[in-house]
Amino acid sequence: MIKQKFSPLNVLAGLILLGALVFTLVPILFMFSASMMPAKDILRMPFRWIPRGFHWQNFAKAVAGNDGSFIFIRNIANSLFVSSVVTVTTVMLSSLTGYGLAKFRFRGRNFVFLAIMATMMIPFEAIMIPLYLVATKLHLQNSYAGLIVPFLVNAFGVFMMRQYLLPFPEEFLDATRIDGASEPGIFWHIVLPNCAPAIATLSILTFRSQWDNLLWPLLVAQSEKMKTLPLYIVKFAAEKYTDEGAMMAVAVLGSIPMLVLFFSMSQYFVSGASVFSSRKG
Amino acid sequence: MKKKYSGIEKKLSRWGWTFVTPALLFFSLFSFYPIVNAAYTSLFRKKILSLKPPTFIGLKNYAYLLRSDDFWNSIRATFAFTLGAFLPLLVVSLLLAVLILSVKRGQKFLQLAYYAPAVLSSVVAAVIWMSIFDPRGLGNQWLNFLLNTPGTDHKWLADSFMVQLSTILVYFWKYIGYFVVIFIAGLAAIPGSLYEAALIDGADRWQSFWRITFPLLKPTVVLVSVMAMLQCLKTFSTQYLFVQSGSPQAPINVITLNIYNTGIRDHMIGRSSAMSIILFIIMLFFTWLQFKTTKADEVSY
Repeated sequence: MIKQKFSPLNVLAGLILLGALVFTLVPILFMFSASMMPAKDILRMPFRWIPRGFHWQNFAKAVAGNDGSFIFIRNIANSLFVSSVVTVTTVMLSSLTGYGLAKFRFRGRNFVFLAIMATMMIPFEAIMIPLYLVATKLHLQNSYAGLIVPFLVNAFGVFMMRQYLLPFPEEFLDATRIDGASEPGIFWHIVLPNCAPAIATLSILTFRSQWDNLLWPLLVAQSEKMKTLPLYIVKFAAEKYTDEGAMMAVAVLGSIPMLVLFFSMSQYFVSGASVFSSRKG
Repeated sequence: MKKKYSGIEKKLSRWGWTFVTPALLFFSLFSFYPIVNAAYTSLFRKKILSLKPPTFIGLKNYAYLLRSDDFWNSIRATFAFTLGAFLPLLVVSLLLAVLILSVKRGQKFLQLAYYAPAVLSSVVAAVIWMSIFDPRGLGNQWLNFLLNTPGTDHKWLADSFMVQLSTILVYFWKYIGYFVVIFIAGLAAIPGSLYEAALIDGADRWQSFWRITFPLLKPTVVLVSVMAMLQCLKTFSTQYLFVQSGSPQAPINVITLNIYNTGIRDHMIGRSSAMSIILFIIMLFFTWLQFKTTKADEVSY
C-alpha cells in the first residue's frame, strides 16, 4: 500500500490502533497485577498497576483451594492430560482421513467428504444431551475416556489436512509404492513428516479448544477428582470465601500453559486463524 | 498390462476407504447419531432417571416452547447477544485490520497483542472481567471518568441491561484479535499492484478501499460473518459463569444455557432436545441466508 507521511487521517488511525491496544492488553495486565495484590488493594482507587510487593498468599490459596484440598493440582493435570490426548488423536485421525480424501480415488469419496463437512454444521450444544445419554450407556461418565472420546477427531481438522495434502506430488507417492513401501508405511514415513507446519497449527487449535472446554466436562465430570480446570475456576469463582486476589491467581495459573505456547509458537496461532481465509483448493 | 493397472487402482481405492473409515465411524456415532437422536427424542415426553418409558407426544414439546415465555426470553437473549457482539466484531476487526496494514512498523506486534485475549480460556476471560465489573472495581472507575459521574455504581453484573452489555464486552474482547488476524490474511492476498494502478488513475485511499479492497475481500467478510455469528449463537461459558457467580439469569439466559438447565438440572430431555433442534435450525438458516444474500462467489485477481 502507498503510505502518506503525515495527515490527520494517519493520526486518527494511530489513535484507534493505540486505543485497541490498551483495550486488549489492559485486562491481561490487570490479571497479573491483581494476582500479586491483597484483595483490599485491588479495589483501591486509583488502581496501582505495579504491585508494591508479591502477595504470595493469593497463589497459595489458589492452589490449596478454600477447603485446603489441593484439588486444583489434580484438576489442572486432568486438563493437561485430556487436552494432550485429544490433540494427538485429532492430529493422527485428521491427517489419516485428510490423506485418504486428498490422495486416493474411490467411489463415494465426495460423499464421505461432504458428510464429514456437514458435521461442522451440527453445534455441539445441540447434541450434548444425546451424547451424554450415549456416554452414560457406555459407562463413560466420570472417566477420562468420557472426557476424551467425543473429541477424538473433528471435521475442521480433516478439512485442514485434506487442503494441505491436495498439492502433495502424486509421483512422489507412486515412486515409493514402486519401491515396495506399504500404504500405512507411506503415510507414516512420507506423508506425516511432510505435514509438520499443518500439524503444528492443528495441534495448537485443538489443544486450545480442549483447554477451554467447559460444557462437556460440566456434564460428564461429576466427582471433584475428574473435574478439569475450567470447572475448577467456575467453582472457585462462585465460592464466597474466594477473594479477588486469589481469583486472579487462579486465572494466571490457568493461563500460563497457553501463554507459554503462545509466546513460543505465536506464528502457528496466527496461521491457525488464517486457515479459514485461504481460498478453497 | 491394463488389467494389472486396474488392479492397482482397486487396491488403492480400498486403502482410501481404509483410511477414511475410522473417522467416518466416529462421526456417525458422535455427530450424526446424536442429532438424529435429538430430533427423535424431541417428539417424546422423557425424563432422565425416570423409570417410566418415554411417551410419544408428537410436536407438543415444540408447541409448549412456542407458548413459553421462558423460551422466547432465551431467543431474545440469544439474539440480543448475537447482534450486540457480532456486528461490532465484524466492523471493528475489519477496521483494525485495514489500519494495521497501513502502518509501517509494528504490524506483527499489533496482531499478536490484539490476539492475546483469544489465547486465554473463556472462563478466565469472564473471571477477569467480573473483577473489573465489581461495584468497587475498575469498570465503574473508568465509566465514571468517561461520563463524568463520580461515585455512580453502573451495576455491570446486576442490572438487566448492563449484564447483557457485560457479556457482550467480554466476548468482543476475547475474539476481536482472532478476526483481525483472519482479515489481515484476506487483505494480504490482494495484490499491491491493484492499488498502485488505482493510485495512478487518481483514486484516493477511501475510493481504493471501497472499490478494490472491499469487493475483493467479500469472501473473507462472508466467512468471518458466518463464523462470528455461529459462534455468538452458541455462546455459553460467559453466561454460565456470570449466573453461577450471582448475576440475574433471565437477561442472559441464552438458548444453550436453557438447554443445559432444562436437560441436566430439570431432567426434561424431550423438551431440551426440542430446544436443541430449534437452535440447530436457526444456525442452519442463518448460514444459508448469509451465503445466499452475499453470494459468496470466488474472486480471481
